[in-house]
Amino acid sequence: MSIAFFMLAAVAVLGGVLAITLRNVIHAVFSVLLFFSAIAGLFLLLIAEFIAAVQILVYIGSVGILMLFAIMLTTKVMGDPTRTVRSRGWVWGGVAVAALLFGVLIPLITRAGNTAESSLSNFDPSVKELGLALMDPYFASVGVIALLLTAGLVGAVVAASSASETTDS
Amino acid sequence: MNLFDFSDSVGWLMWIPICPLIAGVVLALLKPSGKVSAMVAIAALTVSLGFSLKAFAGTWGHEAHTLTHNFTWIQIAGVNLEFGVVLNSLTGSMLAMVSFIGLLIFIYSASYMSQDERMGRFFCYLSIFMVGMLGLVVANSVLMLFMFWEIVGLASYLLIGFWFHKPSAAAAAKKAFITTRIGDLGFLIGLLWAFKATGTFLFFDGGVGILESSTIAALASNTNVLWGLNGAGVIAVFLFIGAVGKSGQLPLHVWLPDAMEGPTPVSALIHAATMVAAGVFLVARAFPLFLADTAALEIVIWIGGLTALFAALIAIAQYDIKRILAYSTVSQLGLMMVGLGAGGLAIQDGGVSIGMFHLLTHAFFKALLFLGAGSIIHGCGDEQDIRLMGGVFSKMKISSLAYLAGTIALCAFPFTSGYFSKDQILLSAWEANKTVFWISAFASLLTAFYMTRQCCYVFLGKYRGEGHVHESPPLMTVPLVILAVFALLLGYVSEHFYHVLDYLSGVHVHQHNSTVVIISWIIALGGISLGLLVYARAKMGIDDVDPVKRLMTTPYGWLENRLYADELYQLTAFKLWGALAKAISAIEGLIYIMVVVATAIVSMIGQFFSGTIDKKLIDQVSFDGTCKRIYESSQINAFIQNGFLQGYLRIVTAGAVVIGILFLLLAR
Amino acid sequence: MELTLNHFLILSAILFSIGLVGALTRRHIIIMLICLEIMLNAANLNLIAFWHFSPNPELMHGPLFTLFTIAIAATEAALGLALVLAIFRHYQTIDLEQIQGLKE
Repeated sequence: MSIAFFMLAAVAVLGGVLAITLRNVIHAVFSVLLFFSAIAGLFLLLIAEFIAAVQILVYIGSVGILMLFAIMLTTKVMGDPTRTVRSRGWVWGGVAVAALLFGVLIPLITRAGNTAESSLSNFDPSVKELGLALMDPYFASVGVIALLLTAGLVGAVVAASSASETTDS
Repeated sequence: MNLFDFSDSVGWLMWIPICPLIAGVVLALLKPSGKVSAMVAIAALTVSLGFSLKAFAGTWGHEAHTLTHNFTWIQIAGVNLEFGVVLNSLTGSMLAMVSFIGLLIFIYSASYMSQDERMGRFFCYLSIFMVGMLGLVVANSVLMLFMFWEIVGLASYLLIGFWFHKPSAAAAAKKAFITTRIGDLGFLIGLLWAFKATGTFLFFDGGVGILESSTIAALASNTNVLWGLNGAGVIAVFLFIGAVGKSGQLPLHVWLPDAMEGPTPVSALIHAATMVAAGVFLVARAFPLFLADTAALEIVIWIGGLTALFAALIAIAQYDIKRILAYSTVSQLGLMMVGLGAGGLAIQDGGVSIGMFHLLTHAFFKALLFLGAGSIIHGCGDEQDIRLMGGVFSKMKISSLAYLAGTIALCAFPFTSGYFSKDQILLSAWEANKTVFWISAFASLLTAFYMTRQCCYVFLGKYRGEGHVHESPPLMTVPLVILAVFALLLGYVSEHFYHVLDYLSGVHVHQHNSTVVIISWIIALGGISLGLLVYARAKMGIDDVDPVKRLMTTPYGWLENRLYADELYQLTAFKLWGALAKAISAIEGLIYIMVVVATAIVSMIGQFFSGTIDKKLIDQVSFDGTCKRIYESSQINAFIQNGFLQGYLRIVTAGAVVIGILFLLLAR
Repeated sequence: MELTLNHFLILSAILFSIGLVGALTRRHIIIMLICLEIMLNAANLNLIAFWHFSPNPELMHGPLFTLFTIAIAATEAALGLALVLAIFRHYQTIDLEQIQGLKE
């Protein structure tokens, strides 16, 4: 189990780092897809199969594709898809966040001493449990999320289409 | 809860606010034409009226009964937040009054607004208002009451600003919303305090609700919680702050006269009969809390008395017909507060009926006056200045007679409804506090005087405006006549009402004091005759000087300017706000300069060590160099405010990190 | 070597920091959105890890919470990319440095 963890962790970190360093935006999107798959693998490792499936479907299947479309739509006029935009404050940002990571986050995590063993060995979380929980105590939340998704999609359509009208006129 | 159980449970009370809600939703979604909208809204409210009358009939004769129906709304971390409906005599009579007057005003509006192309929206707003108002009355939970209270506030905002294309209407709507919000903050603190102290939001809950005797006793045993008030008194005072905002009491009265920018039926429904009475109703509902602390009752009568006097004085010097009525409303609401407070001090449990009965009678005659004023304004070609009216009586007989009926009821002319209710207030005030009694008596005298002045301006003499005066259509005059009958005759059932409204004790203590009766006769008749004496033969054109002004020019000028309440707020609250903003800006500037200088110094030091040590050094560190450094470092600082999205994001992140670190350090 | 909660928390912290660096420094608006997604995923990993090592995982709180986060993140991505298109049509660029409407 630990070998799988370290491999997946390495892939996730690599994917993340590439996504934020690659100059070519298309390449960056592909490396973030790598990152998403590694996270899905980690979910599998943590016995959250359904969430892993959702991760693949939603992130790799739709968000990634959506990003590729957005790039294609925005670079059509600008011509060169590999045209890069410089980053700014790269060094300082890296140093500041590294300080945050190694100075605050990691010391805090290690100090808390979370060495609890997994208690999932005698329990098999199935999709059925999740479905029952979603349909009984969290039914209202599901409704709210459904409403939010609808509103978000309608908003997205409006935001994307009204702008085109202004450019047409 | 079972909404369809009409027999023993009172869950069906929820239908009363639900009916207008259905109408409001239908109107909002389907957007039918104006006439259809009016019909839908009126039909829904008629159903509500039916249920309200059922509720009212159920309480008639069962004074001390309190029926409740509670249900769990949500559960959070083991705490049940319960909502519910309550039926007692207070609920019953208030429901009947609100839905009955509401229905008459809806019918009137169907005619009044028929020329407006946004009539459908108007009825949608009115329906939403009725949802809030009726829900507020049936609520058995202080949180639920607060929610409906806010719906009422929203509807009021929408309706005052209904003609939002008029800048004054838009400003008045904002002013009303913000001013009442100040009071609502007090209400919110009060209800949270009540929850913290008692662990429940329910008013009545089988012996453990906020308003039940054991809880009150437990709260009151906790003496000197805040400002010398006991545990119950503190909650009562905070709830009273909410009532002050909603009911336009001093010092938050400024929004109510401006709210007259809305359509006249709105003024009648919301800003005379129902919404502004919600504050009084809140005090009546929470009356056991007030009774537990005499200091709270003292606050209520003093605020009420001063408001009554203050507003009555201002009303003398106004020329806008609706504005006079608005100040009169503020003044009468003050008297209701006096009635509640003084009743509580003088006859304990029975006090609640004193203020509440005046609320009921006032609702009828003030709605009548506003609708009558609307009819007159309509007839005079949308003119609101009383100096440009005159001689209306002969042209608009029905409206004028109805208006006069409302006027004499408001003046507490003997044996009209206003006489019976005001008499009891003065009696209680006499028992409770002589100073407040004389203040209220003087305010009542002024009331009779300014109403007579207004009627002289409007009805006597020749028409001074332009155009042709005409009577309003029957759809407008019929509600007026119905209201006029109630305004004149409601007093004859006053004894029954007092019995019914005494839901706390179940027994009405009849007060009698011949001195006070004589004083109240003198007030009513004296005020009217004084008004007739001054105004009956006066010249009342727009260029003529008001007779009272001729007598006392300077004080009258103050009154014309509404005793400078708005200007006072301009000078104090707004200035304070401005000064605060300036101070913050100055501190910001100071920090900015410090940062600039510090950056310059750091940069100079860097230059000193890195630069070559020769003659150039002197130039660099000299005056020119320093200026250049400061300029350059300012550029660095100006970079912060550059509209660069990620710049802001970085600052936000840095702030979050700092807060996180602080939190960790403090939490350790 | 037995895996503990700490392993996942530290990994999640590292991934979050990577996302944060990107969001703070890259000026390409789509890459900024990608970085936001990376940060959200790191947080999701945290939630699932806490659930996995919690004393009573049969309540399924971790996966439920994560499911809702993913739904919201998906909405946010769709809306964000639509806004990117709108911004692009308005400014004809996706360089954040040239989009300075907030300055006025």
